[in-house]
Amino acid sequence: MAKVLVIADIKQGVLKGSTAELLSKAKAIGAETAVAAIGNNIESLIPSLATSGSDTQYVADDPGLELFSAGPYACCVVDAARQFGADMIWFGFSESGKAVAPRVAAQLDAACATDITDVMLEGDQIEVIRPAITNKVIQRVKVNAGQLVAVVRAGAFEATEGITGTENVVRLSPPAPDLKAVIKEIVSEASGEIDLADADVVISVGRGVKDQAGVALVKELADELEAGFGSSRAMVDAGFMPHYKQVGQTGKIVAPTLYMAIGISGAIQHLAGMKGSKVILAVNKDPEAPIFNVADYGIVGDLFEVVPILREEIKKIRSPAG
Amino acid sequence: MKILTTVKNVVDVELNIHVENGAIVEEGLQYVINAWDESAVETAVQLKENNNAETTLVSVGGGEDNTKMIRRGYAMGIESGIQIDDAALAEGDSFVYAKVLQKVYEKGDYDLVITGKQAQDTDNGQTGIILAEYLGLPCVSNVIAIEVIDDQHIKVSRLGDAGTEIVELELPAVVTVDVSINEPRLPQMRSIMMAKKKPIDVMDLAALGTSHDEIGGATLKSEVVEFMAPEKREGGQKFEGDAAEITAQVVGLLANEAKVL
Ligand SMILES: Cc1cc2nc3c(=O)[nH]c(=O)nc-3n(C[C@H](O)[C@H](O)[C@H](O)COP(=O)(O)OP(=O)(O)OC[C@H]3O[C@@H](n4cnc5c(N)ncnc54)[C@H](O)[C@@H]3O)c2cc1C
Ligand SMILES: Nc1ncnc2c1ncn2[C@@H]1O[C@H](COP(=O)(O)O)[C@@H](O)[C@H]1O
Repeated sequence: MAKVLVIADIKQGVLKGSTAELLSKAKAIGAETAVAAIGNNIESLIPSLATSGSDTQYVADDPGLELFSAGPYACCVVDAARQFGADMIWFGFSESGKAVAPRVAAQLDAACATDITDVMLEGDQIEVIRPAITNKVIQRVKVNAGQLVAVVRAGAFEATEGITGTENVVRLSPPAPDLKAVIKEIVSEASGEIDLADADVVISVGRGVKDQAGVALVKELADELEAGFGSSRAMVDAGFMPHYKQVGQTGKIVAPTLYMAIGISGAIQHLAGMKGSKVILAVNKDPEAPIFNVADYGIVGDLFEVVPILREEIKKIRSPAG
Repeated sequence: MKILTTVKNVVDVELNIHVENGAIVEEGLQYVINAWDESAVETAVQLKENNNAETTLVSVGGGEDNTKMIRRGYAMGIESGIQIDDAALAEGDSFVYAKVLQKVYEKGDYDLVITGKQAQDTDNGQTGIILAEYLGLPCVSNVIAIEVIDDQHIKVSRLGDAGTEIVELELPAVVTVDVSINEPRLPQMRSIMMAKKKPIDVMDLAALGTSHDEIGGATLKSEVVEFMAPEKREGGQKFEGDAAEITAQVVGLLANEAKVL
């Protein structure tokens, strides 16, 4: 039976949903599953690691792993992969996963595939599906090496109801710190905000909102809807929105129930990050804007006029009295 | 400080790309410098201007488009260029290119390697990180700022999951840069003209002291067996006219038709 090691996605001490999604997929293709959890003070997550669908939990819990550093994290993953005898090692979609996966592959002499949306297993033959060329093509990739390290695209797999596992904890020894790449600090921007990856509704601003006042106008709408608040790259580069809010190929990949693109033209790199949304609403004054080619509902108009009306109308619909 | 920058010639992603019978149709494609590598070149040139760095670029690939791209790097301010051109490199993956780049690195005496975070044709985001593993060098990926501390140390900012990670790197080291690290300059006409006369150090694998087998070209760890067209998302209803009217209408549809409000 193939063995899949899933790397737990832990953010700010919280186990993210992608871990259960990946484990569900591993079970669905008939694999034996294990999870590796790497961090500091993560003891309390162990029961949920098992119930997420893993049969063995490799845990590296050490103060030296408090701040992300790719070298030591890769050491832990390689250690767990060797002990488990993993055929596949899957990371959820994250910047840390993207940094660690190629290292692990190089160390294990395994194949590496990033951004995968599907995995097929026939006997020993592994194949994966992934987009390339900014989503302009889809590749089917055949793995020739004995092992595959993969980063799974956000939203690719679904967690199965009633998935179970067994608690069987294996402690990993803490890795040596990377003395040549010393993490000094993490300037964290987001706290207490709705995580774009988890939000049901995401509203993003583009260059069309022009400035801080425009951002504030759309932010009111986002607050009203308790929506995640995202951005195109243009607004990040202009300094009006922080980096971690960027949606797109080089930012977050989101697939909410409703995505609103406000003053965003719809460049392919932006679409690469939100095209998987269930319903897309676009507001743009240019009727030819490419965003309308993917939007289910398009409002052609001046966003400064439309957004306040949008907010009022939504308020009306959502208030029990209305 | 001696800097090696890697540049790849990639298909222009802004143009239409057609897939037929499991393969990409070559006709109508154009090749340009990978956007992330353009940022890598700009980063190197800025380090040359502000910190007296020496700059070399390397590209693994042949053809006229590739040469043109190297000249573009020259016009932006890079001082010397290496091109690894070998028929055996027609099929490669990130591991193969990393092996070739390792050989190039070992021939020079570099303090810093700057690669793009990702190539626009593969969207792998692997080569720079694998290269660092092969060389046993420290590496930070997805870098958005570099500050030189002294001859042996740089400080980099990396976009991570929890925020911007500040990492101090001991040289020699490898960094992979994101496009948001800078706005690449548009070369001046004069620089473009001068760049045309600059020599390029072209080598095949033998001249580099390696072979198709050694770089793993004959035993690719994975290979693309089929290209497919992505599922198309169709545009839906577009409303023009009185803002109050159409907005109210769309909100109604979001609530009652799409049922997402
Ligand atoms: C390698 C690479 C990676 C990239 N990664 C990303 C990424 O991850 N995410 C991303 O977003 N981009 C990314 N980009 C950039 C991308 O190509 C576009 O440049 C960017 O998305 C444009 O942002 P925008 O739509 O906000 O701005 P613009 O393209 O300038 O569009 C602004 C829009 O606002 C409309 N508008 C203006 N005024 C009004 C008004 N009053 N009312 C209504 N509409 C108005 C205009 O009609 C226009 O359509 C990347 C580019 C490269 C090369
Ligand atoms: N053939 C190549 N020649 C030069 N540099 C390359 C080549 N392939 C990859 N690279 C470098 O590695 C980066 C990442 O590539 P990839 O792993 O394919 O996403 C690119 O941005 C380039 O800087």
